[in-house]
This record gives sequence, C-alpha cells and structure tokens, in this order.
Amino acid sequence: MFALREIAVSLSCFVLLYCLLSALAEIAWRPVQPLHVAQQSVATILFALRVLPLVVSVIVTFALVVPSFQLLEPRAIGDGMGAIPLALGVCALLWIACGCSRVIAMQTRTSRVATRWLEGARPFSANADPTVTFQSHRETPPLTLVGVCHPRVLVSESTVALLSHNELRIALRHELEHVKSHDNLKKLIFRCCPFPGMVKLESAWAESAELAADDAAISNQCDAVDLAAALVKLSRLVPVEVLPVCAMDFAAGSLSRRVARLLAWDEASKARRVRIRTWFVIPPVVAVSLLVTIAYGPVLTLTHDVTEWLVR
Amino acid sequence: MRAFSTPEVWPQLGPFEQRLLRKLWRQGSATVRELLADGEFHQAYTTVMTTVDRLYKKGLLDRVAEGKAFRYTPCHAFEELQRVTALDSIRQLLGSGDTSALALSYLVEAVSDHDAQLLDDLQSLVERKRRELGDKGKNREQL
Repeated sequence: MFALREIAVSLSCFVLLYCLLSALAEIAWRPVQPLHVAQQSVATILFALRVLPLVVSVIVTFALVVPSFQLLEPRAIGDGMGAIPLALGVCALLWIACGCSRVIAMQTRTSRVATRWLEGARPFSANADPTVTFQSHRETPPLTLVGVCHPRVLVSESTVALLSHNELRIALRHELEHVKSHDNLKKLIFRCCPFPGMVKLESAWAESAELAADDAAISNQCDAVDLAAALVKLSRLVPVEVLPVCAMDFAAGSLSRRVARLLAWDEASKARRVRIRTWFVIPPVVAVSLLVTIAYGPVLTLTHDVTEWLVR
Repeated sequence: MRAFSTPEVWPQLGPFEQRLLRKLWRQGSATVRELLADGEFHQAYTTVMTTVDRLYKKGLLDRVAEGKAFRYTPCHAFEELQRVTALDSIRQLLGSGDTSALALSYLVEAVSDHDAQLLDDLQSLVERKRRELGDKGKNREQL
C-alpha cells in the first residue's frame, strides 16, 4: 500500500505541476516573438517553453517528491490512498499512455511514408551532403525533410527541373539547417507532451524554425533572393499529400512573410539581431541547483507538507 | 467595442456607408463636421448626417451629444466586421440548398485564384529585387 500511495502521490504532483507550468507557458510565449533577437534564438526559446513543463515536472517529481515521500512519510499500514491522489494518478497514467501512443503512431506513420518516398531514390549532390539528400522518382513533396533518427532531405524531379542551380543549392541548405537543428526530433518531442491549447505555441515555433533555417542558409543578398525565388516557385507546385508531423516542408509557414524578410535581408540587420546562446541558461540552472542542494532538507520538508495536503 | 451576438443580423451596407464607417474606424470618433473637414467626402452636410444616423439606427455606431451635434463612435472593431461578413457570406454560400457542393467549388476556385495572384505578385517582387542587385553589381564594376 505504501508503494502504491507513493506512486499515486508522485504522479499526482507530476500532473498538477505539469498542468500549472503548461498553462503558464501558454501565456509566457506570446511576448517572445516581438523580441529583437535572432530567429534561431526565438525558435530555441519557444521550444524551451514548450518542453519546460515536462522537464521541470519530471525533475521535481524524481528529485523532490519521491525522496520526500520515502524519507518523511511514516510507513503506517492502515493509511488509505485518498480519492484525489488516486484520481490524479490515473489521469497522469492516462496522459503518459496518450503521449507514448501519439509518439509511436507518429513515428510509425513517418517511417511508412519515408520508406514509400525513398523507394528507388538515389543520392543527390548539388553542393549538399549526398548521405542525407535524395532525389525521389516517386510522387513526393517538392522539397522536404523526413525522419527523426536518420533524417533525409527529399528532392522531387519537378523541383530539380524547376529551380536554377543556385536556387536549388540554397533551398537544400535551408533543409540541411533543419537537420542541424534536429527540428523533426523536436516535433516528435511535442507529440509526447500533449496539453490543450499548445497548438498555437507549436505553430509559432514551426514558423520561427522556418525563419531560422532561412537566416542560417543565407550569407548574402543573392542567396536571399535565390531562396525567395525558390520558395515562390515551389509554392506553385500542388502538394502531393498531407505531410506527417516528423517532416519539414520547404514551403511551410507564411509565404509572404518569408519572402518579404528575404527580400529585405541585409548584412547590417543580421548583425544587429541579438543571438541568445544556449550556454546563457547554464548560470541560472547552476544557481538554482546549488540553492536546492544547500537547502535540500527544508525543501524536502516543504515538498512533503505539500504532498500531505494533497493526500488529505 | 461590442461583440456581435448573432452574425446573421449584420446589415448590408452601401458604398457610402462603408466609406464613412472606415473613416470612423481610422479616426476613432467624429462629428459630422469633423468627417467633412478634410474634404474626403464631397457630399452635403445633411447627406452625411442622414447616413451616420442610419448607421446609428442599424446599431453600428454609438453617439453622444456634443453641443448641438452628435459625436459618433463605431460599436464594433474592424476585424470583427471582416470576420462576421466573411462568415455570413460563406454561410449563405454553403446554405444555398442542393448546390452547396457547387458553391464550395466556387470558393476553392476563388481561393486558388487569390493564391495564384499572390504568387504572381511575390514573383514580380523577387524579379525586381534581382534586377536591382544586378544593376548594383554592374555599377560597382563600372566604378
């Protein structure tokens, strides 16, 4: 019974914290987009906000809730489980099952689609990495990145025929930037932590990821114009089918916005945009970890008080 | 700004009524004299007064007395008008009996035409930018 109570209380704390943090993330992401920072940073911040509720909930559950229950909860045999922890625990289990099934379903569907598209495809090298770039002979989207573990950039025959050498080179570079950023993996991670109303945040991230790949792919005005031309040309092609989630379509996002940004691109504006580096988060994380380590005893007691309140 | 409760009651507006409403959205609020002040409308004072009064009676404008005249303010946001008008038109289109599939195909056609137009516009922008870059390159070579 003690172990069951521990699991129920831990799951309850996890699900409550996850819901609270997700609700906060839904509010917090909106001011991020107008920030005068590089699109790579905007995409990173949006991704962090999307996954932070899950990460923090897992850390708090395993680092605080479980140890506090183990160390501070008296092992009385007669104690019941309580209706609220039981109900919340069941909700948490359902949520975990839902997340896992979404990931498995998406991964299966993506693998099936990728296998079909890659049948008869041959490595393609137009100044791009031929180990990840393939020219497909089947009906495929014009230019897309598909797959999570082994992402592949697929170029259709019509795309090769339609784009000039430079346009194709820069469009492929755009897709390879998605490979570098592991954008398909990020999409899959979103699937494993569902929460109502997160679609808007995910859409905002997808839009930023496209703009970030645009920015990373170009290094001068000619590149920018070539990429804009490729976007417009490929947008005229009729989409073959709806893409699975673990795929990044080249012509995704707001076409007008992307083309306008590319045509207005200049070296000075790129330099002016602040890039928030990933290591910027290390000092606050270290500080919080140190604080928690120093005050671990009182924090455990506080956590236990909160879980006690939940059990009652 | 009030929200629309029943989009079906959105009244049909004449061209002059639409122009007046658009001007009031831009200005926030205005009296008839202020609407005529910049010379955008060449209609008589009484015509404008009758038209804003009609808009008020249709529930699109609020008014407060200001001296001997009234100050008019739009009741609804511009975006709300657009949304309701679009929804109402689509509902009418799709609710036209047995021909709804046909109506839907017209809608798809209109959207496709719009997309094609947008792509044409973007294409010409790209070409113009390319020409500009080409000219700049040539100028640099000449210098």
